[in-house]
Amino acid sequence: MLAQLQQSLDPALFWEYRITLLHGLAVNLLIFLIAAILAAILAFAIGVARLSRTAPIRLAAVGYTEAFRNTPELVLIVWAYYVLPLLVSRALDTRFELSPWLASVLALGFAYSGFMSETVRTGLLSVPRGHVEAGQSLGMSRWTILRRIVVPQAVRHMLPEALSQFVSLFKATSIVSFVAVPDIMYQISMINDQEMRPLPLYTGAALLYCAVVITASQMIQHLSDRWRRRGWA
Amino acid sequence: MIDNFNRYVLANSGLLLNGVAVTATICALAFALAVVLGLIACLVRLYVPLLRPAALAYIEFCRATPIFVQLLWVNYVWPELFGFPRTTEGAAVIALAMQSSGYLAETFRSGIEGLHRGQFEAGLAVGMSRAQIMRRIVGPQVVLVMAPAIVNQMAVVVKSSTLVAIIAVPDLMYQAMGIANKWFEPIEVLTTAAVLYFLIIFSISTAAEKIANHFRRKFGLTSAH
Repeated sequence: MLAQLQQSLDPALFWEYRITLLHGLAVNLLIFLIAAILAAILAFAIGVARLSRTAPIRLAAVGYTEAFRNTPELVLIVWAYYVLPLLVSRALDTRFELSPWLASVLALGFAYSGFMSETVRTGLLSVPRGHVEAGQSLGMSRWTILRRIVVPQAVRHMLPEALSQFVSLFKATSIVSFVAVPDIMYQISMINDQEMRPLPLYTGAALLYCAVVITASQMIQHLSDRWRRRGWA
Repeated sequence: MIDNFNRYVLANSGLLLNGVAVTATICALAFALAVVLGLIACLVRLYVPLLRPAALAYIEFCRATPIFVQLLWVNYVWPELFGFPRTTEGAAVIALAMQSSGYLAETFRSGIEGLHRGQFEAGLAVGMSRAQIMRRIVGPQVVLVMAPAIVNQMAVVVKSSTLVAIIAVPDLMYQAMGIANKWFEPIEVLTTAAVLYFLIIFSISTAAEKIANHFRRKFGLTSAH
């Protein structure tokens, strides 16, 4: 067993295929970035809608959040890749196609917007009520209050939690190889088909993700502590 | 679309229900194992100073690696390295348990550290051993506080269990995709699978919320996040 343990921690194979693996990692990062931006935008919209005074908008936001928080991400990706193009084609009476990575980006963006809308809502509610009332007493409209008073303060409160949601999103981008997006796990299984050496490959993949996520989490923890000490967040 | 539904979903309802049964079995076993592993990791981290780095490394590894990567790692590497698991279902259970044990260890730790130190010291003053204190004073109080987070983790296990279709475990996702690929009619089957997953996970999350509210109202406890 010791020989196999040594074999699984052997970085030679990783180094030999470094270009391929970097391409895979780049695909992962690209999907992560676009999905993160999409999730942030949607989360903001839904978070604000959740605090609306109109009941239908509020309930729709609650429904949206519950739907996307309680559906597995893989189910959403598979649904977006296989079912969504068919439904849109039937509705528009033309041929509509979604490439795998676009389907993954959409699915992950919508899925994580569900989680982040809760973060946004908590952040918006954490602004002291007195500030909102001060804005109201000055005659600002609800929208102006949101834009100029609540959001600038709320964003700082939301940031630590939002950043750890982004780390979760990066971890979730590992599942896109299920629909044949050439990300790092896909490249690793291709290399495994060629080289037939799963021990160093899969152990290396686990350690790579470990390294990236732990580094990112420590940085976020460090930044959040620093912001909290300075009173920003 | 209705007769498509009849033709592909209701006709294959046996397969789909088999998938639900396999999903439920794997999730239940994985969650039970995760609670045990998480408890061990948390207690070793808090109370066994010699093995603390090992427990920390284990918890950080389990939390930092995505479930998909862990699944493939356990399925392809462990049989050669350790000799087990011999089946894909076993690999699925172990990988899901590992992933959740990391989060559960953190939950247990925050629960135990959130308890007032005075409780522990009162136990020491009466002359209880450490094990007795954990069992009779700390345990009952902490379990109530951690219950929502633990039930939430059950929902996460079910969400992650969809991935085991990649190693050909015949769960609900695998069966639904099998039917969709066989008949080239994905809409009804995949939507049904999505709705089924949603219903299962939504009921687990709602149960977690109700438990949290119940304990908050009855005992005045809030979660120790």
